[in-house]
Amino acid sequence: MTNEHHHPTPAQYWKIAVLLGVLTAIEVALYYVNLSYDLGSFNAILLIVLATLKFVIVVAFYMHLRYEKATLSRFFTGGFVLAASLYTVVLAALGVLVIRGS
Amino acid sequence: MADVLHEAPLDHPEHESTGIDNRKLGMWLFLSSEFLFFGALISNYLLYSNRAGFAGTYPSEIYDIPFTSVSSFVLLMSSLTMVLAHNALTRDDMHGTRTWLFATAALGAVFLGGQVFEFTEFIVNFDMKLTTNPAASAFFLLTGFHGTHVALGVIMLLSLWGISRRPGGLSEKHGMNLELVGLYWHFVDIIWIVIFTVVYLLSIPPA
Repeated sequence: MTNEHHHPTPAQYWKIAVLLGVLTAIEVALYYVNLSYDLGSFNAILLIVLATLKFVIVVAFYMHLRYEKATLSRFFTGGFVLAASLYTVVLAALGVLVIRGS
Repeated sequence: MADVLHEAPLDHPEHESTGIDNRKLGMWLFLSSEFLFFGALISNYLLYSNRAGFAGTYPSEIYDIPFTSVSSFVLLMSSLTMVLAHNALTRDDMHGTRTWLFATAALGAVFLGGQVFEFTEFIVNFDMKLTTNPAASAFFLLTGFHGTHVALGVIMLLSLWGISRRPGGLSEKHGMNLELVGLYWHFVDIIWIVIFTVVYLLSIPPA
């Protein structure tokens, strides 16, 4: 329970949850808009940006990484960057990593 | 030496050269390593999900996006109840802690129920089984392992809930147990955020 006084209040947690819900709704809406209007690679980029935003919000505020020591952030980010780099290279080498709209 | 060990207080704090509780550091390292595990499964799915030339139904042809969207929302909201349980414990509000812990486990169980329903639909109505084609295998492997993580999380949450019902079973002093389970639970949630986007919303039917 380190740095507990810095953590958000319950009201702030609820606001964050509403934001996460809205972002999810936008993602789903975008999926259906793309079915009708074929947004191409723009759809994929937007969906990845929205998912990244949700990911960062949960890690920063619900997992409290924003309020933890930098060592933990380095370990966690290091693991993520290592995995993301490794599999990006592998998928690119195998010709899978081509962004398409639908 | 034996006397020294014998007389050492049981609640002696462990040596922490990093200034971070060893259990918390261990959990963050474990979660960090899980990126490699799920990264392999997601990559495997991306590799085979739209590779044409195999018989049988492909997962991307039969996804039920409205249903999965609701499941995703349920899991996302379980992160809220988890963090509210943690917050209640820091205020020594045991009733709140127990309520939010149980709510988190219940939401996790609802998500799991949804996954069982989805798998049953795919297998019974669309005849898409684990061995139907590489895309189906990759799909079941990825979502199945994620579901297993959720199931383990629900078991841990219910265990904590059971402990919290005992007098003095779970207090602010022993809050680290709840914090560690919370970290695991939020991690399961962020992995699903990735799976929902990459597997479901960006699904590409076979060429």
